[in-house]
Amino acid sequence: MSADAVRFSEERLAEIDALVKRYPGPQSALMPVLYMAQEDFGYISMEAQKMVAQVLGLRLMQVREVVTFYTMFREQPCGKYLLEVCTNAGCMLNGAYELADHMCNSLGIKMGETTRDGMFTIAEVECAGACGGAPVVQVNNIYHEKATPELMDALITQVRADGGAA
Amino acid sequence: MTSLFINDQEVDVAPGTSILEACRENGAEVPYFCYHPELSVAANCRMCLVEVEGWAKPAASCCTPVSEGMKVKTQTESLAKDREMVMEYLLIHHPLDCPVCDQGGSCKLQDYAVEHGASKGRYAEHKRASVNYELGPFVNTCMTRCIHCTRCVRFADEVAGTGDIGILNRSDHMNIAGIVEEALESELSGNLPDICPVGALLDKPSHDVSRPWEMSHHKSTCTQCPNGCDISIESRGDEVMRIRPIEHSPEPWICDRGRYVYDAFRSDNRILKPTMRRDGGGLVEASWDEAFEQVITLLKDKRVGILFSPDWSIEGQMAIRLMRDALFPDAKVAYGLHRRDMRTFAFEEGFSMTTAQIEAADQVVVLGSDLRQRLPLLMQRLRKRGRAGKPVSRIGAMNYRTNMDINNDALVRPRDWPAVIARAMEQVREVGKTAAGFDSWMAAVSDRHEAGKVLADALMADSCALLVGEEIRAHEDAAALIHGLDLLMRACGHAESDNDGRNLIPEGMNRQVLSATHGDVRASAGDIFAAASAGDLDALIVIGSDPVGDGVFPSAAKAALAKVPLIQIGSISGEMAEYASVQLPAAAYSEVEGTFVNMEGRIRIASNPIKSLGQERPLWKVMMRMIQVMGAEVPVVNLDELRAAVVERLPELAGAWAGGATDTVLIKPRRNRDVSIAPAARSDSFELDVVSRYSMYREGMWARASKLLTEAGRIHALDDVLVHPETLAAKGLSVGEHKVRTFLGENTYHIGVREDVSPGVLFVGKRGVAGDLSDVSGASIEGGAA
Amino acid sequence: MISSDPKQVKQICFDNIDVPGMHTLSVARKNGAYAFLPTVLKDFDSGKIIDEVKTSGLRGRGGAGFPTGLKWSFVPRNTGKPTYLLCNADEGEPGTFKDRDIMRFDPHLLIEGMIMAGFALDVQDAYIYIRGEFLHETNVMNAAIAEAYEANLLGDNILGSGYSMDLTVHRGAGAYICGEETALIESLEGKAGRPRFKPPFPAVEGFYGCPTVVNNVETLATVPAILEFGGQWHASIGVPNNAGCKVFSVSGHVNKPGNYEVPLGTSLKTLIEDYCGGLQHGTVPKVIIPGGSSTPWLTAEHYETPLTYDDLMKAGSFLGSGAIIVMDETADLVALTHRLAHFYAHESCGQCTPCREGTGWLERIMKRVEKGQGNAEDVTVLGEAATHMAGRTICALAEGAAAPVLSLLKYFPEDVQARLAEKS
Ligand SMILES: Cc1cc2nc3c(=O)[nH]c(=O)nc-3n(C[C@H](O)[C@H](O)[C@H](O)COP(=O)(O)O)c2cc1C
Ligand code: SF4
Ligand code: FES
Repeated sequence: MSADAVRFSEERLAEIDALVKRYPGPQSALMPVLYMAQEDFGYISMEAQKMVAQVLGLRLMQVREVVTFYTMFREQPCGKYLLEVCTNAGCMLNGAYELADHMCNSLGIKMGETTRDGMFTIAEVECAGACGGAPVVQVNNIYHEKATPELMDALITQVRADGGAA
Repeated sequence: MTSLFINDQEVDVAPGTSILEACRENGAEVPYFCYHPELSVAANCRMCLVEVEGWAKPAASCCTPVSEGMKVKTQTESLAKDREMVMEYLLIHHPLDCPVCDQGGSCKLQDYAVEHGASKGRYAEHKRASVNYELGPFVNTCMTRCIHCTRCVRFADEVAGTGDIGILNRSDHMNIAGIVEEALESELSGNLPDICPVGALLDKPSHDVSRPWEMSHHKSTCTQCPNGCDISIESRGDEVMRIRPIEHSPEPWICDRGRYVYDAFRSDNRILKPTMRRDGGGLVEASWDEAFEQVITLLKDKRVGILFSPDWSIEGQMAIRLMRDALFPDAKVAYGLHRRDMRTFAFEEGFSMTTAQIEAADQVVVLGSDLRQRLPLLMQRLRKRGRAGKPVSRIGAMNYRTNMDINNDALVRPRDWPAVIARAMEQVREVGKTAAGFDSWMAAVSDRHEAGKVLADALMADSCALLVGEEIRAHEDAAALIHGLDLLMRACGHAESDNDGRNLIPEGMNRQVLSATHGDVRASAGDIFAAASAGDLDALIVIGSDPVGDGVFPSAAKAALAKVPLIQIGSISGEMAEYASVQLPAAAYSEVEGTFVNMEGRIRIASNPIKSLGQERPLWKVMMRMIQVMGAEVPVVNLDELRAAVVERLPELAGAWAGGATDTVLIKPRRNRDVSIAPAARSDSFELDVVSRYSMYREGMWARASKLLTEAGRIHALDDVLVHPETLAAKGLSVGEHKVRTFLGENTYHIGVREDVSPGVLFVGKRGVAGDLSDVSGASIEGGAA
Repeated sequence: MISSDPKQVKQICFDNIDVPGMHTLSVARKNGAYAFLPTVLKDFDSGKIIDEVKTSGLRGRGGAGFPTGLKWSFVPRNTGKPTYLLCNADEGEPGTFKDRDIMRFDPHLLIEGMIMAGFALDVQDAYIYIRGEFLHETNVMNAAIAEAYEANLLGDNILGSGYSMDLTVHRGAGAYICGEETALIESLEGKAGRPRFKPPFPAVEGFYGCPTVVNNVETLATVPAILEFGGQWHASIGVPNNAGCKVFSVSGHVNKPGNYEVPLGTSLKTLIEDYCGGLQHGTVPKVIIPGGSSTPWLTAEHYETPLTYDDLMKAGSFLGSGAIIVMDETADLVALTHRLAHFYAHESCGQCTPCREGTGWLERIMKRVEKGQGNAEDVTVLGEAATHMAGRTICALAEGAAAPVLSLLKYFPEDVQARLAEKS
């Protein structure tokens, strides 16, 4: 992504202005603004971090500290579909590792990797807070509870058939 | 007071003290890494655990306040095990490279490992890798050694105010990193290696050059700015290897100028032997006798002007006076390169407050000073007060970057100062605060400037510290402005002996003493150069000063030096070498025993047993020898007699030399109550006011002789000449080369723009380098290249 | 369960959880939401509300079980600074998933609880700090808040009472530690979520240095019922010192995992057998983690323990967040301990030496042991490294990280030995 592509739109900037007013200090708006950057640009590049720092009047280091602390902020691009398999206790006890292995096989990649077509990234995550529906897989943050190999395969096939639309 | 028991001993401490501090105050040893008395508490290392009776778990003593009757134990078996485990956790990823680490021998981790650690670590997994990062010319990083105490992060945030060091990632991937362009954006960066308890941040210039145990330490005084910090000069043999701050002195830090100037001590630019010109050729080595022969020829029965630097010790300066009185009783003497207005100031250079009092005052107003460059440690104290929620206001020609939030800010041109002060007078008079002289002062000023409100508002506080800077001190109408400020301070009750907020930032050290020892024979350097150029003088004696490279008279100096011979006496050759007929070496401040008085009037007696590198002698001995060879009677033969001559003029110093306390003996700057000078209307027609910036990295002979500071100066330099964007736009010009007219003629400069500069000001980023522009206070941009 | 109650309240937080469309204001109102709010705003004052909550015996449902009324009474008044109310919806403790249901099914209950708490504490700005993964729940909450603003239940001059409060949802971004209240505050200030040491406590110096109350979703969602039916009523449910109902999130090897709200004092066995349909294999659990993965394990011998703060503590554990992870005989405890060690090593904020280095150390040793590459000394090292993390750090994460390892070594040394034996 070229440096000048990393700019918030006017609407975004207006949104940010309104957002900042909801907090006692502008730094509080940093996390929401980083989400916006991630949504708009796919990931949060160094250029984007510099821009966010400038928009909020923060130092680059203040932004870097936050981006690197939280796992949901990505400094690298990932697949169009991010499959996050919870393997923590509740899910582990209900077959999460077997499910994860199965999904890796179906996708032909290892945990943490992205398919060559850039469609899927698979990652192992910590407790999703839905252990009652273990095992849990999040697809772009949408929860799929009581996930089974069959359901996941169906989802993967569906996405591939649609060519990634939707 | 809160009383508690530390290891069964009852002690009293101030309420709110932490257990750790209570232990430190009472001699109970508690190990720690992350705690630092000058930084906020982080409580992350967990080494400082102690036991409190009745508490289920050990407590981190650094972040636990004392409470009445609390029973603390610092040495128990279970604590010993806890400390052993903390050491084991810390050493998991720490390399075992003490033998090649610069910190080896002065490392907390190494010391505690011996004292508290187990003989063998049990960690058998792989060690974490870390990346180093670039922090510029003064600091090296070796991050595998980092123990994540975050002292450096807190230093960058709180003391330096730059925030360019931070904590990335989390868990055991957490790492400390810096984001810098070329270097840390701090003039205090050299303190980082000192606060790092291990060998992760190291002093780059002395890296791999020496080991702590090879060094001898000499307590001395830094003369690089009027703050006069206590320093420890560390040498190996007679070679100065480093300069560091001294614990428990008024400032726990020193600035990069004071620290890294040491490489000038052994630079090629030192004058280590007498030199002279033979048959009009270049300077060549000579014996003392030959050189003095030459001095006699050039000076005997001649009319001379004398110029010296404030860096010399009081003893050296007194010796200059004695030399003048013995050999040239009519000579005028200059000891500054900034002052244009020689009329008496209502308050003379020096501080009536201590820096601690300034930190605590209700209001502080900085008038016309780039404090971060000029007095970096005082700036640091203002940052500290800012963190405590106390306001700082500023008025000046430039929004000098301060790395702190300034509460009230106004940009003014130097010609606006009378209008600013008059506006403030009007405002305070409205609430009934006035002083005799107000009316006539105000009447002399036709307009009013809004920036006066910033000043007047601050003056309403119970205590208000004015920090009056160079923009006023070097102003052509300085005496009138200072009189105006004096009236304001009187009117508002800030000129009482117990509430005196008048602080005139001096050009260098020892100013209060110089008023007493040389005030009666003083002239401006500009007047001396003018006299030489006009043929009224036959020769110049310049002692440790460089009027071509520094100050506001470089063009005048060059003209004068082209006309009359120069006798140069000093430690550094500098630009003066080009003009000198004779050079006599005088010892550097690392090599002499001498006394110094800083801007607060604190007295410091430095003893410097470092031997001379060449034939240089203490300045006072050079002066006495000169008196002797010129055939006059030698007035003093030892330091005691010399000091007695000072005491005659300044009795306050007697006690200090008699072995009395030095920290409490404060010499106040002079007050001249009867001054009454109304501001004059500006007479020239130049549209812009010229203001030049003091740079801590390049001002002064020592700094320029230091390669380290020169490199830092390059990194931190501003453009040569700057104006506010509107100033150029109003003339239909854009950034680029433009003709500038001054009373010295026309010249072409590259003119840049910056919002920080007051409209109507031509800002000279690099004084000296900018040649003619340093001499002038008014200029006009003509447009178009010459 | 509380059907004997004259007011016909079956459950407290979950009373209307199954009502279709409950997340919309109209349905919520039909089911009694905000009905009592005007009375509170008109007839109650701060003192009365705090007294009722004190009387109710409500203890924080986020983990520590601190009495809520007492916490509120610590907030200094008239400091000249604003007071903030922060709802802790970070729900990161492995095994916990109750707050999610309240927010996605009955968001107005939480909003109403926050208005009442805010009114009691004179709060102008309140925030819900919700974990980043709960995107759907964030959207539901935001929609509900928008409806509440529309109906003048939030914003200026709520229902003409003269009281005004703004409510903002703030998303976390994947950091368990931000559930710790001071880390939550740091995070909400736009920084990395690293806990602060105490004192000062948030009630005195919290969000932006101002008095701040942090309460769990379930805690706040309990407030409307307490004010409507009275503190005494709430105190009469459960057992003394452990009043009211609690939502237990049951997961692991049970047939019907899920959230069950029951009165405190119900036994573990009752909950697992009567509500959760019993175990997947066998009849008696091998391990029960009663309060989230950070709490020490219980075993078969504790099966009948009543679910109260006090009884679980007596049994050597904690009620914590009420997240019960049940394991039957098929569980590989070494692998599970390794997995939890990995979790804590991943989630440590990294500031305290014992936690930063200890969690990674435990993880690496457990990994070796799980793979059959351990050795006899590992047992000693695991024990010492875990013991000296617990209680020696800024926050309780380190203690939580130590708990599984210490529990494993305490109750199932033979499982560890078996792995060590695999090596040879
Ligand atoms: C490591 C750690 C994680 C925590 N996570 C949560 C959490 O996800 N949700 C929560 O409500 N409380 C959590 N807590 C407890 C909070 O610090 C705090 O006690 C609670 O939010 C107070 O609310 P309550 O009094 O209503 O329970 C956690 C504590 C620790 C030490
Ligand atoms: S115990 Fe761990 S998570 Fe808690 S503050 Fe310390 S390092 Fe961070
Ligand atoms: S000195 Fe107390 S935790 Fe580091």
